[in-house]
Amino acid sequence: MTDPVSASLDAAEHQHAEPSRLLPDDAVASLVRVLKVAFPHRGFPDGPYERTAEHIIATAAASPFTTAQLGQGLVSLDALRDRPFAELTPEAAMEVLQQVQHTPFFQLVRSTTVVFMYSDREVWTVLGYEGESSDKGGYVDRGFDDLDWLPDPRIEEMRA
Amino acid sequence: MTRFQNNDSDVVVVIGSGAGGGTLANELCQAGVRVVCLEAGPHLTGPDYHNDEWPAFQQMAWTDMRTTSGSWRVATDFPNLPAWTVKAVGGTSTHWAGACPRFKDYEFTAQSSYSAVEGASLLDWPITLADLAPYYDNAEIRMGVTHRHGRPPLPANNNYKVLANGAAKVGYKQYATGPYATNATPYDGRPASNQDGFNFQGDKTGAKWSTLVAELPKAGKTGNLDLRPGCHVAQITHDAKGKVDGVLYFEGEVLHRQAARVVCVAANAIESARLLLLSGSPRFPDGLANSSGEVGKNYMRHLTASSYARFEHPVHMYRGETMAGIVADETGLDVARGFVGGYNMETLSLGPAFLAAFADPGAWGPAFTEIMDGYENTAGLWIVGEDMPQSTNRVTLNGDAKDQHGLPVPNVHFDDHPNDVAMRSYAWQHAAELYRAVGAVGVTDTPPYPSTHNMGTCRMSADPTQGVVDRFGRAHDVPNLFVSDGSVFTTGAAANPTLTIVALAVRQAEHIVGQLKAGAL
Repeated sequence: MTDPVSASLDAAEHQHAEPSRLLPDDAVASLVRVLKVAFPHRGFPDGPYERTAEHIIATAAASPFTTAQLGQGLVSLDALRDRPFAELTPEAAMEVLQQVQHTPFFQLVRSTTVVFMYSDREVWTVLGYEGESSDKGGYVDRGFDDLDWLPDPRIEEMRA
Repeated sequence: MTRFQNNDSDVVVVIGSGAGGGTLANELCQAGVRVVCLEAGPHLTGPDYHNDEWPAFQQMAWTDMRTTSGSWRVATDFPNLPAWTVKAVGGTSTHWAGACPRFKDYEFTAQSSYSAVEGASLLDWPITLADLAPYYDNAEIRMGVTHRHGRPPLPANNNYKVLANGAAKVGYKQYATGPYATNATPYDGRPASNQDGFNFQGDKTGAKWSTLVAELPKAGKTGNLDLRPGCHVAQITHDAKGKVDGVLYFEGEVLHRQAARVVCVAANAIESARLLLLSGSPRFPDGLANSSGEVGKNYMRHLTASSYARFEHPVHMYRGETMAGIVADETGLDVARGFVGGYNMETLSLGPAFLAAFADPGAWGPAFTEIMDGYENTAGLWIVGEDMPQSTNRVTLNGDAKDQHGLPVPNVHFDDHPNDVAMRSYAWQHAAELYRAVGAVGVTDTPPYPSTHNMGTCRMSADPTQGVVDRFGRAHDVPNLFVSDGSVFTTGAAANPTLTIVALAVRQAEHIVGQLKAGAL
């Protein structure tokens, strides 16, 4: 499971799962630190990162093997430098993730995040995306054509 | 609901209810022909659809197991999703955006018009633009295409304002908000667009033409349509003389047989080829209608690529009709650009969920978050160009992997042709120049998505040794078997395929009705 489509389809099947004893106790906090380095959005509050971390754990719970890979990945991140991952500078933490980016651990984290975090309503608000619109009558009266920093262009085809 | 008997051997069986199959079924029903239309997916309608990309994808997309091979990037990033098509009543016409350019005359004669292109299996169509012109008119009128036959244009949305201003700045002239098959004003019992911005996720209002809201309901009113959702055809059967006489299909896990006088295959180019290959027999050892060996070969998917440009001011590209903006100046034949064929540029928007998945698949880190953080100020366009048919780009049966019915899954092998690579590189560069001309501060070159334009796997040919079907889509080898979707495209042109699929289906229906009346089928 490394591509976003598979991650999405798997996630749709495995919505609920309990945390596993195969994971360290601070797995959510550790994952949040990984996510903030890998997906550094200065405008994002903690909520989307925390929900994504919990979702990654729930997704991995479908398979003990995947959960074990996740747990092993989090533990070993702390062993790659002379201090724990959480205490690294942002630059050093980024280097560590680049070092492990092709591992199943990181692929799980990345692909699940890409599918999940950018469907988060709080993220949409930060990014300036308004989500569902049909229930509000679309944008015909709500700014589909409100761009005003360029002139209004021709809409008809060019006359031959 | 009309229901014909499974042993009724007088019906025409249409496999698939999308742009090709749904239109064909309606035309046959209007002429008094009784039709059984077998659709693999469920009967979703407007209220069912989600304004949310992943739930919509999970609801609508054809996600049955498939495999990929070849050097195309889709095989790496989306190895089990070679194509992004729909499994539901209305087929991929419920997912398309609506762009309706016609083929140009020389695009029907690509082999003659383009000097020999090494490695390409180019062939001239057995029909001309003049042959198809009256059916293009018919298709445009039935679909209510803007800018055609007196139908008004859609207004400029924000994404189009950026595209059109950029186009004008770099000297392009052929830009407009269409032709586009979504209503600017009410038409044919369907409302005007409310500019809700959801096209690929199913249209909740019916302002967009699809067979779901236009052709199939009309066919239903004739009493001649037996539409069966949830029915996946596994095999086409034939009699001792080599004429097809029915189909075997799964409804749930139960296998049924439907008898048929004529069978029309419109399952989208991957499944149509797969079904013919699955229908092999001692008489047709290489697959049904495959004496040429061309079934599954010459698979085309259009060039495709996208450009997403970030500006200093808001764009809100997601508001409004997604693809109601077309620049056609790079269509046309001009080999000085370094490639044959041409391409269209069309406005395109993804929500954050899909932009994250598709803008640069596999990406992460600051370069990725910069794309996402610029979302509100982003404009996007899609590059739709003619790709070269190659005999090695093909749909085959994967002998190892089986689907939920136990049938071998299709494998889609694809390698870009050097002409495709040259065109994509040129197109990305010129799209970036277009956007920079109106102030873009960053532009992302986005690679092709899983294919939405699937073509060529049962191509039309004058010579039966060079293709699968004749000028009316009738199999060269089997007199009462037709192919009725984009599979029959001999070459792909630069035009989005739906309009041409519909025009060909109307023309094919007229032919079938004539043959039935003459007692020739």
